[in-house]
Amino acid sequence: MTSIGTGYDLSASTYSPDGRIFQVEYANKAVENSGTAIGLKVKDGVVLAVEKLVHSKLLVPGANRRIQTVDRHIGLATAGLPADGRTVASRARDEAANFRDVYRSPPTLKTVADRLGHFVQMYTLYSSVRPFGISTILGAVDKDGPALYVIEPSGVFFGYHGAAVGKGRQLAKTELEKLKLSELTAREAVIEAARIIYLVHEDAKEKEFELEMSWIGPETNNQHVAVPQDLFNEAEAKAREALVSGLE
Amino acid sequence: MDHIDFQQLKSGEVNLGTSIMAVQFADGVVIGADSRTTTGSYIANRVTDKLTHVHDRVYCCRSGSAADTQAVADIVHYYLQLYSQSSGAPPPVHTAASLFQKLCYENKDALSAGIIVAGWDKEIGPSVYNIPLGGGLFRQPWAIGGSGSTYVYGYCDATYQEGWGRDETINFVKNTLALAMSRDGSSGGVIRMCVITEGGVERLFVPGNELPKFWQGTEVLSPVKGKAVPEPQVVPMTVE
Amino acid sequence: MASVFSAPGFDFSNQLRNNFIAEKGLPLPKATSTGTTIVGCLFEDGIVLGADTRATEGPIVADKNCEKIHYITESIRCCGAGTAADTEFTTALISSNMELHGLTSGRKPRVVTAMTMLKQMLFRYQGQIGAALVLGGVDATGPHLFTIHPHGSTDKLPYVTMGSGSLAAMAVFESGWQANMTRDAALQLVKDAIAAGIFNDLGSGSNIDACIITASHTEMLRNVEMPNVRVQKERQYGFRRGTTAWKSEDVRNLIVSEEITLLAGGDEMDTT
Repeated sequence: MTSIGTGYDLSASTYSPDGRIFQVEYANKAVENSGTAIGLKVKDGVVLAVEKLVHSKLLVPGANRRIQTVDRHIGLATAGLPADGRTVASRARDEAANFRDVYRSPPTLKTVADRLGHFVQMYTLYSSVRPFGISTILGAVDKDGPALYVIEPSGVFFGYHGAAVGKGRQLAKTELEKLKLSELTAREAVIEAARIIYLVHEDAKEKEFELEMSWIGPETNNQHVAVPQDLFNEAEAKAREALVSGLE
Repeated sequence: MDHIDFQQLKSGEVNLGTSIMAVQFADGVVIGADSRTTTGSYIANRVTDKLTHVHDRVYCCRSGSAADTQAVADIVHYYLQLYSQSSGAPPPVHTAASLFQKLCYENKDALSAGIIVAGWDKEIGPSVYNIPLGGGLFRQPWAIGGSGSTYVYGYCDATYQEGWGRDETINFVKNTLALAMSRDGSSGGVIRMCVITEGGVERLFVPGNELPKFWQGTEVLSPVKGKAVPEPQVVPMTVE
Repeated sequence: MASVFSAPGFDFSNQLRNNFIAEKGLPLPKATSTGTTIVGCLFEDGIVLGADTRATEGPIVADKNCEKIHYITESIRCCGAGTAADTEFTTALISSNMELHGLTSGRKPRVVTAMTMLKQMLFRYQGQIGAALVLGGVDATGPHLFTIHPHGSTDKLPYVTMGSGSLAAMAVFESGWQANMTRDAALQLVKDAIAAGIFNDLGSGSNIDACIITASHTEMLRNVEMPNVRVQKERQYGFRRGTTAWKSEDVRNLIVSEEITLLAGGDEMDTT
């Protein structure tokens, strides 16, 4: 890396002569080393799925969740440093609660993403802080329908039809592009999400992992909840199946 | 004191002893108010506009202290500008009403404000919210408020029907306010109305000499048909 | 050794002292109030403001020729009724803030801006600032006229009156005001309205001040009418010289003469 030793990468408050902020770019590296997280915005809902890498067999299954609930209708999945994910989720909950308090109505995802983007950006300005080492996928069904956003460590955020962050994002994105997202139902999207996570994991030949999935759609009364066990099992079985048939 | 003194204004305070009203119909809402502002027994303004803009399609009718309701409406106006600028869309009527309710409830000890919020939004269409003195929030198909409203609850209950069009709703508001203004000494002047629909806000004005007229009380003095008027029994006093 | 102990909490000894003094027959001083007639009137190309010039302290006339039309900006002026000190200081404060506002925005500040600043300040003080104002002026959006009550409520009207003489003045406006009056007609109406206050209201009196504001020019007409000038006494009440007899005369020189002699020249300033 050309930046090392130049001194321009020591602080988030220092630009390099060609106008880059290396600390923010390093934060992106922290995201790239993390297990993949994907989000699908479909016809009637949103599905979030995460490949949670399990680095020890001693860990209790289901611990250190990377999908969190921000508001009744808003879910959040992170890729990167798990602790940073919890900080950002906590702030997202505060922002959503603040909006409800002032305006007495559920916030739109755009509003939450906008406020959270400002929050993340504040950590790219000062020498005394470190930028967040996470990319955040936000999903919701609000008054304008399904919505999906990704906030990067720099604080920028974009709206997506399908989003993928973390180690396997390239392959995941090509898989997402093959889907007709605007025609899928949330139930169908759960199957696809599980398949993509299994696929990118297999591709990386990584150690153990746990699949984590949540959805928001008509079947959940437009609320963010974990995918029910029977559907989860079905999706996982089909994902394994697809993997086997794909290898042949 | 074991109860809240609702009529208690600070001495010398400007009062909107008022008749205000809002009614929803299929395409929008009609809001209306009299135009009288008083300080004690003096009419400080006889052509007041109590229909206050808080956003493009959200208005409020103000009753109670003029200073309090103007201040609250100004604050809500500010919040709604903030809302529409940051979210990129006009605020729902419910949001506006909630802001009014929050301010009225949290400062209930310092305020005397009875406000009706009405307007049109994309999610719900037309809606009317009543925020009475204690700071409650109630959605209603029609709402009346101010000191003059007490005289016309019965009229409204007996007259209002669902499914009215624009013109019928305007007439209902106009008649109700005229009745309230004729019975309430603190209400009077002209009738101002607004019709708020998706397409825009139309302002209507009824001058004080063109208010709808009802029974004037003159018939009592005229002779009843077929009966002779009895001669007065009193003998006039002779004046030297 | 002196004790350094002091009881915790608030110290109410001054209040006790003031109550005691008041009980002994020395009440706290009362504020000077401008029992007043002030008016404003819209005409074809601007605003005319008017005021009487009497300031009272209870039943006593404190000032027979005070100024009640205050400067806000060159093209915005404000008449004040109520507590004289409050109208004086609030208008001065808002005038200062309007000047700064004009400097920061690089534009001529508007009448609504002054109105908003005044109403927000008066509302914040919940009527404790006893200022009842008539605000008028011309800005980029045209002529504007407001009344502002002490609790912070405002009204926008084509003709307005305030103060204890407002009823007398309003009677003149209600019978004489017309839309799109000429400058002269408007000034005459304002003078009549103030005169009505001066002659029919005990709190108002002395002279008439007026101020005509148009887009291009502001004209302050101080004492434009003086209906109460003291006339020459019909007789002389002075005593003839020598009326009082005296027994002795003693004239003392009150001027103290002093001579200073410098002892040496060393104390002079070195101016080389």
